[in-house]
Amino acid sequence: MANNLNATRRSLVQTKIHSDSFAVRVTARRSELGRIWRMFRRNRLAMAGLAAVVLICVVAILAPIIAPQDYAEQDMHSTIRPPSAEHWLGTDQWGRDILSRIIVGSRVSLSVGIVAVSILITIGVTLGSIAGYNRHIDGPLMRFVDIMMSIPGFFLLLTIVALFGPSLLNTMLVIGLTSWMGTARLVRGQFLSLREKEFVEAARCIGVPSWRIIAYHLLPNTMAVIIVQATLFMSQAILIESSLSYLGLGAQPPTPSWGGMLNQGRDYMRQAPWGTLFPGLAIFVTVMAFNLLGDGLRDALDPYLRGR
Amino acid sequence: MTRYIVRRLLLMIPLLLGLSLLVFVLIHLAPGDPTLFYLPPDRAADPAIRLKVMVHLGLDQPLHVQYVRWLTSALQGDFGFAYGYGEPVLRLIATHIPATVQLQSAALILALLVALPIGIISAMRQYSLLDNAVTVFAFFGLSMPNFWFALMLMLLFAVKWNLLPAVGAGMDKPFLERWKYLIMPTVVLGFNYMASYVRFMRSSMLENIRKDYVTTARAKGLAERVILFRHVLKNAISPVITIVGMSIPNLIGGAIIVESVFAWPGVGRLGYDAVLRRDYPTIMGLTMITAAFVMVVNLVVDILYSYVDPRIVLSDKSQGRNG
Repeated sequence: MANNLNATRRSLVQTKIHSDSFAVRVTARRSELGRIWRMFRRNRLAMAGLAAVVLICVVAILAPIIAPQDYAEQDMHSTIRPPSAEHWLGTDQWGRDILSRIIVGSRVSLSVGIVAVSILITIGVTLGSIAGYNRHIDGPLMRFVDIMMSIPGFFLLLTIVALFGPSLLNTMLVIGLTSWMGTARLVRGQFLSLREKEFVEAARCIGVPSWRIIAYHLLPNTMAVIIVQATLFMSQAILIESSLSYLGLGAQPPTPSWGGMLNQGRDYMRQAPWGTLFPGLAIFVTVMAFNLLGDGLRDALDPYLRGR
Repeated sequence: MTRYIVRRLLLMIPLLLGLSLLVFVLIHLAPGDPTLFYLPPDRAADPAIRLKVMVHLGLDQPLHVQYVRWLTSALQGDFGFAYGYGEPVLRLIATHIPATVQLQSAALILALLVALPIGIISAMRQYSLLDNAVTVFAFFGLSMPNFWFALMLMLLFAVKWNLLPAVGAGMDKPFLERWKYLIMPTVVLGFNYMASYVRFMRSSMLENIRKDYVTTARAKGLAERVILFRHVLKNAISPVITIVGMSIPNLIGGAIIVESVFAWPGVGRLGYDAVLRRDYPTIMGLTMITAAFVMVVNLVVDILYSYVDPRIVLSDKSQGRNG
């Protein structure tokens, strides 16, 4: 990616010198995106992932409209019913429609994912940029990253959530706040190698201020790595949230979360396997979709990173 | 080399100190206190009784006094008594380590035995049916919530077919009967590891197969088998070592989810219980011991790495594996 972008940029500079027309710039940019899209489209698994992610997002947005019933509505005459025409995925021990709860639950998973990833990307990119650009801050910052990384991740997460009180908001915050280290390291690594490139040196020579070098020269060339990280971490965040909810430490009732549904369905697993089967499938499919999408993006955005 | 190791070991001291301060402050700042878990509800309502318990546990002191007190005894190898167990934290952790080591090493071995050969074969036959199946399978492993996988296995093997015990480690059973308890947790945990190992093994092999030295080896007429095992594999194995090294700390850190689903009496579950009971000494003890272990393992992995791949020179200036 970096090299390609550089090449594009170099050709842009040349075309600017010759024609300096806006139209040329736009075509150059578009062909880069087009190249990425063509690469991506060839990957069938990634396309499946993209389709599934879009579908899940649509379901989450339209949840109240498409859910066949109110997710909290109890029908005490039909508790623990197997899947039927009336309740497609059956009902739970309180007579609630499992399909409706899964549909509404998608909102919890996606919002946790989005908020956590936003936090993690913001912190990771900021600290990674600073460490990668400024040698003096690099050492201490990376020592802090070392400290954070030496704690078993899930244990730290569990401890904070349990002690500060389990809630959806805490879950989002804590997942984001405890997982930025990998991104920070990646961004730092990218910056370290980009810093030595000619175009950065050139920018420095003509007196471009540091913040501008970071924002206009280094960050755009790191974007591919960041996008891939964000997508892949969506799946991680969703998995972590569902694990916490399964342990009873995530979203609290009555909010339906997939992990929470598994937690409640567990006690009735013998009589009502559908109560654990379907919410688990929902987690599985969603996480898989984001993994496939992220993997495909990585291949398309950076042929050099492929398979890593 | 010695200089490097000494430097890395010395660096652990400030890291561990920083970590202990961070975690200590964090858990003590959290709202609520542990007294509620030791007193029956009617007595817990009485502030005088709660204060008495707080004084007894030393929790009435200012935070920095508490920290210094904890640190002084921790430096002497005393991590205090676990609340509610009345046992020294270290002994408590030590009694939970065997079960965890047993489970984790079984899972690691299973994962390596399956993942390495499959990863190699899959790379040798890139884009074959087998390779595609392996790719999909790896995505399954990465995306499967392991508590769900565990529940589904339980449903089939314990509830429906009644073949395996659903939970527990059978620690009271004679040694030869224990393996039945080990199967499901091992498979669940091993599946997780397997997925990432396969992917790494495969991509690392693919990267090396295309290198010039392989062409040279072929050109001079070496047998494919020799090229594969003597040349490619040797180069391809080092990134895999890093990844496996990253799972080693779980040997004593345990797997919280899998251990709690299967009621496995290991360190992971101890940690989970400690968190729920606000057992500060145990939380601190577990954090410090696992963190120290992580740091030592990282160092060992780095050293191993330089043996396997002589191109990597461990220098004083390098800042650890990712530095």
